[in-house]
Amino acid sequence: MKITLLYGTESGNAAMLCEDLMEELAGDNACAVSSLADIAPEDLDPGTFYIFVTSTHGTGDVPATAAQFYEALEANRPDLSGIRFSIFGLGDRVFADTFNQGSEKLMQALLACNATLIGERGLHDASAGDMPEDIAIPWIRECIAALMSSAN
Amino acid sequence: MTARIAIVGAGPAGCYAAQALRKALPEAELSVIDRLPAPYGLVRYGVAPDHQGTKSVTRQFQRLFERQGVALLGNLEIGRDLPLDVLRGAMDAVVLATGLYGDRRLAVDGADLRAVYGAGAVTRYWNGHPDSVDFAPEFGTSVAILGNGNVALDIVRLLAKPEAAFAGSDMAPGLADNDVARINIIGRSLLGAAKFDVAMLRELAAIDGVVCKLAPGDRIGDTASAIGAAASEIMAEHAAASGKIDVIFHSGWHVARIEGNEGRVSALRLERPDGAEKMIHCDSIVTAIGFAADGHLAPAAFPGEAAGGVLDRGLFASGWFRRGPRGTIAANRADAQEVAAMIVDWLKAHADDRKPGRAELMRHLDAEVTDFNDWRAIDAHEIATAPPDRCRRKIRTTSGMLQIIHKARSML
Repeated sequence: MKITLLYGTESGNAAMLCEDLMEELAGDNACAVSSLADIAPEDLDPGTFYIFVTSTHGTGDVPATAAQFYEALEANRPDLSGIRFSIFGLGDRVFADTFNQGSEKLMQALLACNATLIGERGLHDASAGDMPEDIAIPWIRECIAALMSSAN
Repeated sequence: MTARIAIVGAGPAGCYAAQALRKALPEAELSVIDRLPAPYGLVRYGVAPDHQGTKSVTRQFQRLFERQGVALLGNLEIGRDLPLDVLRGAMDAVVLATGLYGDRRLAVDGADLRAVYGAGAVTRYWNGHPDSVDFAPEFGTSVAILGNGNVALDIVRLLAKPEAAFAGSDMAPGLADNDVARINIIGRSLLGAAKFDVAMLRELAAIDGVVCKLAPGDRIGDTASAIGAAASEIMAEHAAASGKIDVIFHSGWHVARIEGNEGRVSALRLERPDGAEKMIHCDSIVTAIGFAADGHLAPAAFPGEAAGGVLDRGLFASGWFRRGPRGTIAANRADAQEVAAMIVDWLKAHADDRKPGRAELMRHLDAEVTDFNDWRAIDAHEIATAPPDRCRRKIRTTSGMLQIIHKARSML
């Protein structure tokens, strides 16, 4: 399967998690990692499964590196039917009011463009003490299983 | 030929610089130098101890040293143990990423009175920095914080939070105990234009027992800005409340002078651009009005403009040392990528002139240099000896760190 991991990051933590997920998935799949800053919604291809990983910035927004992609979804509402994606959010419950709103916003924008969500949005809380990859690796395995069963 | 690069400072600016350079130059010899055996600079000693999630960025930096072939040269102070010129002579490029250590001083009468503290000094104290071992602030019951940014809010929160709320942090037990009942926070700009993050203000307002109030007669100003709107909402909610700790926001005031009694601060005289004046009584003051160079390395000491990133031939600047005390930890990432690109260009233009690098440098060193394995021994020790309800117990002195290192090395 062709998988592309797309990250929106401020500190680089989401980029590192994408590299970890790629390492995990690369054995069985053709994987690539890219920053959301380097891709536009019209570049998305129905033959590829997309895994979005994003943090939250400021008052519950997507990080700066994801802003252009997010705004293009919101402003142009491109038709993304046929695009399948999963999404994982990095957040910190210390900032309770905006916890993981960045990944929520990006997910809603993708859904509004008719993209298909596979599995549930995965969430990490930096204050909980778990390593992001310990949460995200089982999560992505479940998403991929869901994707396989939906294809059959 | 392989390029050899040293980065001075193992804080976020230096580590992001190493990360960007490793990406751009997979073969380069990269050495990150720090004056302490413990790396991570402001992430370990500046980010508030109750923000452990923010500190998790160290996992990226750890990876540099563990998997990506970057060397840590700890316990090595450039300018003390080794002249910068010797380092430059051994390396093709040197990046200064030592941040801005000093608190910018308040230039008013009374700033030298006892119980006037800088936010950096107070933050190092709460974070267990070796430099703060002999620092013992006396906050009293009423503290005035000067500043309009997140550093000021960190100080307010750490003063206002009850000891029990530090469960899970790495704050030394008892350190958060204080008698503070009243915190005045004074900003030059109106609250609606303050540089506070909304999330940080909400975090403060949500602390049990904390009541946030606008000083009588003050106004927020722009209530349509994100911070202005959040502040008005919080102040309205808290207006009728009473709590254990009052946090009073003074909006649009600057300090005219500090009054003292027997050598110790007793009050602040504030002024407003329209000529209004008022006095605030306080037992102590914490200034959070910015940071400045303090130590052997200062951005102004070099021929190049630090802001441009190039200080001299083969000498570069990154992070706060480059662009001043603005921006969060993450802002250093973009900064580092820019500086790495400049270094790549410099190395290309000087490809026929390669320096000997780390091995040659080590031959010149008398100082005891520590490495990342040594830090791992300290890290493991701090985690293993953590008190109940704490995630680590920081070793407070460099000599204490070296003792642990020696013990760990002798067991190899």
